[in-house]
Amino acid sequence: MIWSAFKLSLLVVSVATVAITLVGTALAFVLARREFRAKEFLDSLVTLPMVLPPTVTGYYLILLLGRRGLLGRYIFALTGWTVAFTWEAAAIAAGTVALPLMVKSARAALESIDRRYELVSFSLGKSELETFFRVTLPLASRGILAGVVLSFARALGEFGATLMLAGNIQGKTQTMPLAIYEAFISGEDGRAQIMAVILTATSIAVIYLTNVLTRPPKAA
Amino acid sequence: MLDVAIKKQFAANGRPSFALDAEFTANQGITVVFGASGSGKTTTLRSIAGMVTPDAGRISLGDAVYFDSTTRVNLSMQKRRVGFVFQDYLLFPHLTAAENVAYGAKAQNERARRQHATEMLKLVGVDHASDRRPDQLSGGEQQRVALARALASDPVILLLDEPLSAVDVQTRSRLLDEIVEVQRKTSIPFIYVTHSPADAVRIGDHLLLMADGRIVQQGKPLEIFNAPLNVPAAQVVGTENILVGRVAAHQPQEGISIIDLGRCRMVIPHSPLPEGSRVTLGIRAEDIIVSRERVSRTSARNLLAGTVKHLLRDEESVELVADCGVDLKVRITPQATQALELAPGVEIYLLIKANACRLLS
Repeated sequence: MIWSAFKLSLLVVSVATVAITLVGTALAFVLARREFRAKEFLDSLVTLPMVLPPTVTGYYLILLLGRRGLLGRYIFALTGWTVAFTWEAAAIAAGTVALPLMVKSARAALESIDRRYELVSFSLGKSELETFFRVTLPLASRGILAGVVLSFARALGEFGATLMLAGNIQGKTQTMPLAIYEAFISGEDGRAQIMAVILTATSIAVIYLTNVLTRPPKAA
Repeated sequence: MLDVAIKKQFAANGRPSFALDAEFTANQGITVVFGASGSGKTTTLRSIAGMVTPDAGRISLGDAVYFDSTTRVNLSMQKRRVGFVFQDYLLFPHLTAAENVAYGAKAQNERARRQHATEMLKLVGVDHASDRRPDQLSGGEQQRVALARALASDPVILLLDEPLSAVDVQTRSRLLDEIVEVQRKTSIPFIYVTHSPADAVRIGDHLLLMADGRIVQQGKPLEIFNAPLNVPAAQVVGTENILVGRVAAHQPQEGISIIDLGRCRMVIPHSPLPEGSRVTLGIRAEDIIVSRERVSRTSARNLLAGTVKHLLRDEESVELVADCGVDLKVRITPQATQALELAPGVEIYLLIKANACRLLS
């Protein structure tokens, strides 16, 4: 149970982290560099899962992706597949809840860059895309990495939304936090303890890493 | 040849705050844009580079139209091929000096880019520092690398926005000579923005004087500094005494005209303006001589009696304000102040050459 929960957590969190790194950085770039009317609305929407109870976020995800959901019904009609009770659902739940941390960190990192570095790059004939990858991203890398690490940690600890969307099926959707809950409820305190220690150790490592990454480099 | 004629209105708190209305032509060589901070120098430069979009007007370089509001042309920064050097260098901090220069280098492959970067670093004399990162370079070295980086992209014109204001005096002097040398070697036009009169005179082939968003005078730098033609130009180049009066009389045989300033009169070189017309005179504070005695038999055509109103000492000199019917500012040395025992209330005479009085339009 411990091993299968650990493997599943790793899979779910890895997929979620890769996805939100890409989506989160793109969203952060749009929020940091573009001016449009719905900008603050988009920001609020992305931030919402940070303040909503995870069960509510999970509930909305069901409304959106469930078999009869806003999007889910089309997915089901086209492929016969539905997200409920799959590991993908756990990844989506974890990703949605961790996304705000990624976007906030990356947006702050991008906004702290002197925009004139980008102007220099344009004046040297480089396109916006090349400038993003060769100038903007390297300069914002610490903040973006910090966002990755933080959202990894948040995804690892995700419970409520996962339970709502993916359920609690051992070996299929039962990630570590769910396994701890079940072990505790069924009186297997020893197991719960081991898993709690593993999660705690991971979290401490993550906090340490974030601090190292966000510390400004020492002056030469 | 760069042709610029642009307008742009700025607003602060919903109210119009500053209007740029600049029109000029820049040819080969180094064109210096000189003016106080806030006069529109940087906005003009950024408009040429494409970082700022004017409200109306036209910018073209030779046959290439960069911006034209009537035909809705607004070329992207990438397509303008305008090199830009910022005041604070803005070298990419994650790249070495050589990588910074190679970044925008026009060449077929990575090796050719490296090669080109090395050549450019040699041209500006920092090839010894090519493997260092920007934080390991001195201010002067950073500025040289920034110059090399801009030149490596093979620009058709180079814009420099107060490039030397952050380096020390000695480095500054050396860099000024090097910038001139580099311009002669690359033979692309340079537009150089500064608020230092010394820099402007030293490197400028042509000078554009800016005040309140307009070009108020242009021409040879020394001529402009010595003989500003109008009141804003005189203010920008530092003419401490600007006086308003009327032409009282002409004495063409003697080559002089007399200006009535209300409570005193001033003799100036003969002017063709009709008697009675309103004129503005500019007199530099350092062009006035102070004497404790009434001097006779001097070539100075103006001898004004007055009293010292007050003395203002700054770093190296003293600014004296004398009441001679009109208030006149005089710049003298601390030594002269002591030797003449100048203090408020002391009676003095001011000697002003007719040729030190310039008519401003």
